[in-house]
Amino acid sequence: MKPFALVIFFIVHLCRFKTTEVTLSKKYHKLTEIQTALQAGKLTCVGLVENYLENIHKHLKLNAYVEVFEEEILAKAKALDLKIQENPTKLGKLYGMVVSIKDVICYKDHQVSGAAEILEGFTSLYSSTAVSRLLKEDALIIGRVNCDQFGMGSTNENSVYGPVLNPIDPNRVPGGSSGGSAVAVQTDSCLISLGTDTGGSVRQPAAFCGVIGLKPTYGRISRHGLLAYASSFDQIGILGKEVENIASALEVIAGSDEYDQTASLEPVEAYKEALHFDKKVKIAYLDAALTHKGLDPAIKTMTLELMEGLKSDGHEVEAVDFEYLDFLIPSYYVLTAAEASSNLSRYDGIKFGKRSEDVQSFDQMVKKSRTKGFSEEVKRRIMLGTFVLRSGYYDAYYTKAQKARRLIHDKTLEILEKFDFILMPVSPSVAFELGEKPNDPVAMYLADIYTVQANLVGIPAIALPLGNHPEGLPVGVQFMANKFEESALLAFSNYLIYQHLKAKC
Amino acid sequence: MADSNSDLEIVIGLEVHVQLSTKSKAFCQDEVAFGGTPNTRISPISLGHPGTLPQPNALQMEYAIKLGLALGCQINQKSFFDRKNYFYADLPKGYQITQDNTPICGQGIISIEMGKEEKSIRINRIHMEEDAGKSIHDQDPLHSLIDLNRAGTPLLEVVTEPDFRSAEEVAVFLNKLRQLVRYLAISDGNMEEGSMRCDCNISIRKKGETTYGNRCEVKNVNSIRNAKRAINFEANRQIELIQKGITIDQETRSFNAQTGDTLTILRSKEDAHDYRYFPDPDIPPIIISDERLAAIKASMPKLPQALKKALIAKGLSPYDAEVITSEKALADYYFSMLSFSKNPKSAANWLTNTIKSYLNEAQIGIEEFSISPKTMVAMIQLVDEDKINKLSATQKLFPALIKKPEIAPLDLATQMNLLQANDTNAMDEWVEIVLAKYPDKVDAYRKGKKGLLGMFIGEAMKISKGKANPKQLNSAFLARLAD
Repeated sequence: MKPFALVIFFIVHLCRFKTTEVTLSKKYHKLTEIQTALQAGKLTCVGLVENYLENIHKHLKLNAYVEVFEEEILAKAKALDLKIQENPTKLGKLYGMVVSIKDVICYKDHQVSGAAEILEGFTSLYSSTAVSRLLKEDALIIGRVNCDQFGMGSTNENSVYGPVLNPIDPNRVPGGSSGGSAVAVQTDSCLISLGTDTGGSVRQPAAFCGVIGLKPTYGRISRHGLLAYASSFDQIGILGKEVENIASALEVIAGSDEYDQTASLEPVEAYKEALHFDKKVKIAYLDAALTHKGLDPAIKTMTLELMEGLKSDGHEVEAVDFEYLDFLIPSYYVLTAAEASSNLSRYDGIKFGKRSEDVQSFDQMVKKSRTKGFSEEVKRRIMLGTFVLRSGYYDAYYTKAQKARRLIHDKTLEILEKFDFILMPVSPSVAFELGEKPNDPVAMYLADIYTVQANLVGIPAIALPLGNHPEGLPVGVQFMANKFEESALLAFSNYLIYQHLKAKC
Repeated sequence: MADSNSDLEIVIGLEVHVQLSTKSKAFCQDEVAFGGTPNTRISPISLGHPGTLPQPNALQMEYAIKLGLALGCQINQKSFFDRKNYFYADLPKGYQITQDNTPICGQGIISIEMGKEEKSIRINRIHMEEDAGKSIHDQDPLHSLIDLNRAGTPLLEVVTEPDFRSAEEVAVFLNKLRQLVRYLAISDGNMEEGSMRCDCNISIRKKGETTYGNRCEVKNVNSIRNAKRAINFEANRQIELIQKGITIDQETRSFNAQTGDTLTILRSKEDAHDYRYFPDPDIPPIIISDERLAAIKASMPKLPQALKKALIAKGLSPYDAEVITSEKALADYYFSMLSFSKNPKSAANWLTNTIKSYLNEAQIGIEEFSISPKTMVAMIQLVDEDKINKLSATQKLFPALIKKPEIAPLDLATQMNLLQANDTNAMDEWVEIVLAKYPDKVDAYRKGKKGLLGMFIGEAMKISKGKANPKQLNSAFLARLAD
């Protein structure tokens, strides 16, 4: 019966989709289908957008969107419909793709706040490279979505707009920090969403909400126009329900950029064209990760079952040693906090953003603006980062964490020389209950154990829906690949969750 | 000033900020220029807007390497940018991008001339950084105003070892550094516009000691003259304290150009900022390939010392060579003259005497001098070819040419009737007039008073209104009086 574990998981997955109501956006899950329908006149961009807007309004209580560009997107959809009729050869690659963006990504003449009070009312003077490239290919941006403040948090409760709720169980969090993105995708309130992933912020909410979340290689997508949390970790990620859509968006937004020196010059592959998958792969899993005492037993069982399923399909799945598991979280939090403490220094209320009045001096103005403008969690990380960079402590924390990062990096790449992918859980548990984590920051940090490795190393990683936990909540599984191996990772993911399923259904 | 008989000596080290004359800022495309309407040379990047990232300016690296080569520094082909974190109203990002542990240029050495003595000054490092904006506190009673035009301007910081022993040595070094940056065309070197700013670390110790005393850093020194004033004031202050048996506290002081004294702005190490330096994760390591380094080396202009030697080899006096190479613009003008002239010595003579005196008198630089090198050479040629005599050239033609530099010197001399009459008829006529006018003097000459020849020539010159060629007159009188 083991060979069928994989099949069962996908049937469960499919059934969940079948139980929700069928709407226009349900009918068209893939960009290719949308584009075919648009070309055939069976669908209009306006109709498509109205359907997403309807879903947004239906799920307002989940608090996923902080702003919907309703009028603007309807006007743009109308113009696009005209272009489809009159100028079909001039259409961009992504026409018909409706995208939401996390509220840390800049879009010219639109507000961006990082879900923080200190940027209340701030309008960006320019568009991020990712947004510019989407727009150039005729994608439509429908609104900005909620998140943890400046991307710091794993629950999406750390937002000036209030918490986002999990659509599967509104008493639970959707995960974070890209919680709004995951919920927007899950509720068909957009086709894909741009999130950001510094330590799992795309993959963990994707897993908590049962959607797909890709964090590309560090430097694959320009960070220009992304509000920096930790510069050497931050990476824009894409959430969606179909690998194909994620691949289409990735090949548009990835690539070098004169505005970001850390954006890679590595050529961008045609990811969508390369989704065909028919080989046998070698998959490693970290023994220590699966035997970790914090891992929920049901998630462990589901993961093991998947591994058996993969073996039955002829893939090699092998345990490998990884002695640095316990160093992942400390290294990650020391380094990201250090970078954050410096990156967030620009928010002082002087040149932009919200300034506290009633002050007598410069020092007072900065202190008051920042005390009021940042959440407790953000302040905690600024304090931590300031501490680890202090002279006298620098070597004990920052330098040591850099050394650990180097070891983790080298060891991980060593594994990926012998294996195509590393398999990992996404999170040790299912979605937390609302209010469960914020009072226990260390417990919240520890829950990032499976996702921070990809950011410490800079490799691509994807979270895929593994199925439902006995409690009824979604569980994800994660695959990591070598740097710039997005193409292989996406093809394998597509095989796992779509082609394989379709073949056996 | 420290008493030269005293057993104490002054020890000075410098940190000089050189503002580079690149077109754009260190990490974005904003224009770099002095002054301007406040907050007009800015962009989301220089304002530190959310999501912006630095775009390093390759020219800053090239300029840093050029100065490093000129100061004999080791060039670090791999270096990093770091962040120096502190809050200030005119520091948009809340950190300055600079280089902490890995400056682009390492140790170097440069010699300065103190009279006839040469003295070596060791360079500790040269690193790249960006400037902050300006806070203006005196224009509004209730508010401080911020001008961010300067924010992000590329700077080099040259750090010397504490090798200076007097304010005069510092002045000579700063002059030399200014001369170098101008030769390299990497900065205008104007201290009063802030293109070169200097922090002086000053301490006092007993002569012969090998350790240093506690030092005070004097900031805000914006001219060579003020550097001397600041050092002398601060040295005297410290010496007085030491002589009273009071220990010097390490502190940062600010120089007040109006009063000439220095004031404490930051006391002791304990109060000092902890800048929390760490490598800037937004900028990959700066790698200078062997090829690029070789190309920069090949593009180095001749520096004043080498140039001076070359000029002496052409036959110029050491004095002329020194004057000409003292300023790059003068040297440029001279070499431009040479491209039209076959007589380097007379070109040098004119430049260091007539032209230089005029520039000094008019208080302008050679850049503002109206006569082009080509025209200047044409004028000098008129003298060299005896078409006009030197006196008329310097006193009449040169001043006229300054006002009308567009007219060819020969035409102007013709218009002004300054061309020498070289025909013998006219010459003979002038000689006869003079001899007829002074029969007694002719007698006296013939009886042996040969010194009168000069007077005859002078008279003939007057009659000719300066057009006569004195050399020809000389021979004409000699021939006529020998009869």
